[in-house]
Amino acid sequence: MKKPVLALLATAVAAAMTLTACGGAATSSTSEQKGNELEGLTGVFGAKDFSEQFILSHITSQVLNAHGAETTTNTSVVGSANVRTAFETGQFAGYWEYTGTSWITYNKQTTPLKDKNEMFEAVKEADAKKGIAWLDPAPLNNTYAFAIREDKAKELNIKSLSDVAKLPASEQTFCMESEFSTRDDGWPGLQKEYGLSPEAKVSMLDTGVIYTATQKGQDCNFGEVFETDGRIAALKLTVMEDDKQFFPIYQGALTIKADVLAKYPAIADVMAKVSPKLTTEVMQQLNAKADVDGDDPDEIAKAWLESEGLI
Amino acid sequence: MTAQATRDVSTAFGTASNRRGKYFSFKRFGTPIVIAVALLTLFLWISSLSLDSIELRTLNWAYLQDRTFEHLRLTVVASAIVAAIAIPAGIALSRVHSKAVHAVVFGIANVGQSTPAIGLVILLAIVWKLGFEVALVGLVAYSVLPVLRNTLVGLEQVDSSLTEAARGMGMRPFQVLTRIELPLAIPVIVAGLRTALVFCVGVATVATFINAGGLGDMIVNGLKLQRWPVLITGAVVVSCIALTIDWLAGLAEDLLKPKGI
Repeated sequence: MKKPVLALLATAVAAAMTLTACGGAATSSTSEQKGNELEGLTGVFGAKDFSEQFILSHITSQVLNAHGAETTTNTSVVGSANVRTAFETGQFAGYWEYTGTSWITYNKQTTPLKDKNEMFEAVKEADAKKGIAWLDPAPLNNTYAFAIREDKAKELNIKSLSDVAKLPASEQTFCMESEFSTRDDGWPGLQKEYGLSPEAKVSMLDTGVIYTATQKGQDCNFGEVFETDGRIAALKLTVMEDDKQFFPIYQGALTIKADVLAKYPAIADVMAKVSPKLTTEVMQQLNAKADVDGDDPDEIAKAWLESEGLI
Repeated sequence: MTAQATRDVSTAFGTASNRRGKYFSFKRFGTPIVIAVALLTLFLWISSLSLDSIELRTLNWAYLQDRTFEHLRLTVVASAIVAAIAIPAGIALSRVHSKAVHAVVFGIANVGQSTPAIGLVILLAIVWKLGFEVALVGLVAYSVLPVLRNTLVGLEQVDSSLTEAARGMGMRPFQVLTRIELPLAIPVIVAGLRTALVFCVGVATVATFINAGGLGDMIVNGLKLQRWPVLITGAVVVSCIALTIDWLAGLAEDLLKPKGI
């Protein structure tokens, strides 16, 4: 072959090989079939932009597919509100949402309910008016928390956020994401409720950077973390207790379009076998596999479902 | 010569000097008028909305001023550092004829520009520390290439008969550089600086991820919480800053052009 053509061909082959390596996790892997009651169900299950959501989305898609459905996952949308919009406009068939988020952000309520069952029922009712169904929640509570490195916590002798408020202003340094710093149920409310120092130094970082910054302790003592995150234990951080119960309850549950659920009521039965097993501790372990060990969420979901005998 | 640098050379020497009389032509004011209209429209629109508590936290003068100032500080300081590094490097490189050295230096500059700025900045934040200096390093790495390349190209395209004549007149190499080569290369170098400045304005939006502030804060907030007024304000203000800086640099380019070009 002539030289230019050969060179072009070689480049094309190399490019094609590189691109196949980037194959996205859009389709979920399935194991043995467990039943056929969801045959005909198709759709995309969305996820917010963190590992727990990726794992939950894959778990949902895989377990439904094991019962005859043909669903896929989309884990590339950024920002909670954007995922909710994609869901409301029908791009997603469903995704895992948290009771607190729906209550405060989407239903624009300002006071969270302290009892988790009351919270769930209120949210279920409010969203039902929008044609959104909430399946029974999992025990996991992915609420905000502030963590500090273990040794520093012992040194300062603090266990709860009230203790933190009593610290001198120089020790009250916080790292948080920009979303948390402007949310009504975030930093402004927290600062007021606990009387945290108005001179507290606040650093705004990308979510992932918060964990390493908190562990280093250079720029901030306290980092805004999530209760179910696997990195808390892995990085030897300890969580400050929310003794005034400021942070709303964020129980995770699968939200799904009401008409989809009406057409395939078996979804609720299938998920009822999965959700009760997802406790905060289990979620922390699964999250740690993704964030600490670097495993693929699709694989983590598959391994867990297989170990529980669900697929 | 790369395509961009070639284009810079032709535009720098193609447009007639606006020095005499036509300096403040209508065309000169086109861009500032567009910027002013855009900002005015934005202001009027935001004033007409009723903003909720989340939006009010970011859509107020104090916040906007702070973020804009941080953004400008990052841009200007980064560009100054880039100029201080890349122009001397370009001059030095034009004196060295080894292809290997050219390749290595340009390789490094290329890596700086092709590495995704956000990845570089976050990696540095994890390995080093957070804040202004780290964001600066990211910005400088990103903007070095255009200035370096333009300096080199600007010096290379100086007519060799001119430098020979200068040396024939008894000028020392340093004098040839400062009195002949640099003035003739300035239009192209400033064009490169103009590019670097505009790059810096855009990439400085990434500084928000490592606590270096800037208008990226507004954009990320607006996006994650789906508050469109916040997002649009951030984006429009950044764009207007980029246009303003580009216009000012264009002004400087014309001012610094030696007479007779």
